Amino acid sequence: MDSLVTFLRLTLLSMVPFVLAAQGTMLGGRTGVFNVAQEGIMLVGASLGFIGSYLAGGSTLVGIAAAVLVGGIFGLALAYFTTTLKMNQFVIGLSLLFIGTGLSTLIPKLVIGVTLSQPLIPTLQDLPIPLLSQIPFLGTVLFSHNILVYFAIVLSIGLWYFLFRTQLGLELRSVGENPNAADSLGINTSKHRYVTAILGGMLIGLAGAYLPMVYTGTFTEGMVKGRGWLTIALTFFAGWSPLPVLYGSLFFAGIEVASYRFQAGGIAIPYQYLLMVPYLATILVMMFTFRKTRVPGFLGNNYDREKRSL
Amino acid sequence: MEKEAILELRNIRKVFDKNVALDSVSFSLYPGEIHGLLGGNGAGKTTLMNVLYGLYRRDDGEINFHGQKLNIQGPRDAITHGIGMVHQHFLQIGNYTVLENIVLGTDVSHPVTMKLSAEAQKIVDLGNRFRLPVDPNAVVDTLPVGTRQKVEILKALYRGVEVLILDEPTTNLTPQEVDDLFESLRVIVNEGLSIVFITHKLREVLHVCDRITVLREGRNITSLTRAEASEEIFVRAMVGDQMEIEGSVYFSHGSMANTAADESAIPALEMHDVGLKTKEGISRLAGLNFQIRQGELFGVAGVAGNGQRELAECVTGVVIPTEGKILMKGQDVTGVSVCELLKDWISYIPEDRLHDGFLPKANVAQNLILGYHRQKPYCEGSIIKWDTVYDKVRGYIGEYKIKTNGPEDPGGNLSGGNIQRVMIARAFSMNSHLMVAHNPTRGLDIPSMDFVYNKMLERKETGASTLLISEDLDELLLICDRIAVLYRGQIVGILDRKDFDKYAIGRLMSGIQAEETADLRAAS
Repeated sequence: MDSLVTFLRLTLLSMVPFVLAAQGTMLGGRTGVFNVAQEGIMLVGASLGFIGSYLAGGSTLVGIAAAVLVGGIFGLALAYFTTTLKMNQFVIGLSLLFIGTGLSTLIPKLVIGVTLSQPLIPTLQDLPIPLLSQIPFLGTVLFSHNILVYFAIVLSIGLWYFLFRTQLGLELRSVGENPNAADSLGINTSKHRYVTAILGGMLIGLAGAYLPMVYTGTFTEGMVKGRGWLTIALTFFAGWSPLPVLYGSLFFAGIEVASYRFQAGGIAIPYQYLLMVPYLATILVMMFTFRKTRVPGFLGNNYDREKRSL
Repeated sequence: MEKEAILELRNIRKVFDKNVALDSVSFSLYPGEIHGLLGGNGAGKTTLMNVLYGLYRRDDGEINFHGQKLNIQGPRDAITHGIGMVHQHFLQIGNYTVLENIVLGTDVSHPVTMKLSAEAQKIVDLGNRFRLPVDPNAVVDTLPVGTRQKVEILKALYRGVEVLILDEPTTNLTPQEVDDLFESLRVIVNEGLSIVFITHKLREVLHVCDRITVLREGRNITSLTRAEASEEIFVRAMVGDQMEIEGSVYFSHGSMANTAADESAIPALEMHDVGLKTKEGISRLAGLNFQIRQGELFGVAGVAGNGQRELAECVTGVVIPTEGKILMKGQDVTGVSVCELLKDWISYIPEDRLHDGFLPKANVAQNLILGYHRQKPYCEGSIIKWDTVYDKVRGYIGEYKIKTNGPEDPGGNLSGGNIQRVMIARAFSMNSHLMVAHNPTRGLDIPSMDFVYNKMLERKETGASTLLISEDLDELLLICDRIAVLYRGQIVGILDRKDFDKYAIGRLMSGIQAEETADLRAAS
């Protein structure tokens, strides 16, 4: 029983970076902007989140602000090059990925330098919700987490309501489905693409900052460990919808936690195999669900009003 | 003139790259009229209206609306001023409902809960008033083309437009749906709105329009009321001096003789219970049984997406049917590859020229021999004889009037109409027993269409057969010996030329009374 509680609690805890990054990806995709730079943006978010907090004497808020800001800048760059300059989204996305990866190791060296012992920042405190956290089992699993766990859940539900139950959501999705139609009805397609790409970048940056702020208390090179890539697969098999993204994140988090537990449990499987588990799971899940899901009709494309089609 | 024009376009000019699409074109619209904007492909009709609607930025000229100069920067401005446009390719979000498509971009009464019952009621009311009934909660993707068009018109009416622009609204409609549409248009103008009706079909314009403006090659040719002018004047205005109208097939009203095909000879094509299922088990074609005689021009009518593409691809060997047999001149060719079929048997003009028929990065000469590049005279052994190729190709460019800088020019530099000419030149340049032509005249101007029709009729003389699959019913009625109607992957009727009736075919195309017609045939 105890181990089940721990497993579920850890799964919820590890779900957060997946949720944040995938919702960010989903949001941009809903207007047709397909971000593939998650791994890079998460790394630079992790790096700056750590540095921000470290330099501000352990202030979580400053760290988060720094990560969100840099994520937003990457989102802005993606929007500018693809929406305004109409350059290929994948090429720009991959460029941003490598820039992010490079900056994530460069900046700590410039700002903090090389130190003997690893500099540390305080990790996020748990915020048990009064009364609810007293409920046996559920209280521990659901209601005694750090603030970003709650945020991830509220964000997912909020995004679902916004996209599918409001006028602005309807307009926003129309840009990702058929920008010709949206444009002909006077909807500002560029504005929607910019806003979602920037907000999406912010969420992905925040996802990166979660790693030093909750898991390790410090930044290490390449600490995102492929979670950014998994996010893309996750968004696809969640059909670019907020609630399935939440469930999918739980699934990936569960696999991640399980594979760590196996490692710790000293089972005689080389750990390299265990590290592969999330990726194998991705392929399996994709095989069974991907065919059924649909993607926004204009995903990955750039819209040019005066371009004549033959 | 007692009436004041509510809308005037003066000296509009629009240039795409170096291509002058509109050269000082003027246009005026009176309240309560249906104004036909007539012209062949590439005349600039749609471009002119896209300029008015704000989708294209004009390079010169001015727009006056109610006597005031308008500066339209985008569709939003046009809508605000009461100008609405229904595009030829519907601008709809396929997975949204009718209601969502219509209210998109307008202010709704409950923007944060999207309780849209008031809006839905307004749409139903508008539908009743203008005879455009739709179900607001239906998902657009599931609707037939005729209904989607109603949605598109309602979208404009919902926004309270004064001027409604319709771009080729009858494409893909059955004759019955066309009549319904015209009736609705009458109701709309009777309520005081004005309509611009863009089309290349002269008969439609004469049927429904009060005034007609003709464009050709981006210039104004004439503007007349219907009463002022005869059909001949418009024909001449549309095609210019470059074409002999008396001898043309296009303007012949389908009065050409039905030269009997050789019924005793072995059929050029026999389809025996041909069916096609996708991997998921969805049936695309089922139980196709028909023959095409030698020297016959066999037409296939139907609303787009009822299996036309699959039929063309089965016959040409691009896909192998999952059921049944295909025979050509008595030989079983089921499962024979396109490559083999192209050698002796068939020539093919695919529907989607950019996807299935053309290499934009290859040059014009290479495109003109594509598919035949393994055969004589282009090829000896496995070496392509480029001298012969270029020699031949120069001839084709002249004969088929392909506008290009030369055979070495990249194919991508050609305009849509000229790419289509390449498709046609390639298919007609080699002998074949059976030509499969899918929408061969799409994007061509009238003289070129006429040229294609003449070429097809010439084939009959030599005993070669043609399978003409077309969305343009007028085209089929004009030149075919027999017409089969395809509906949901099945042939629901085959009519002989003497039995051609637009409305009967229309009924078959929309699937209604398919059974009744069959009963009638059995009875007679």
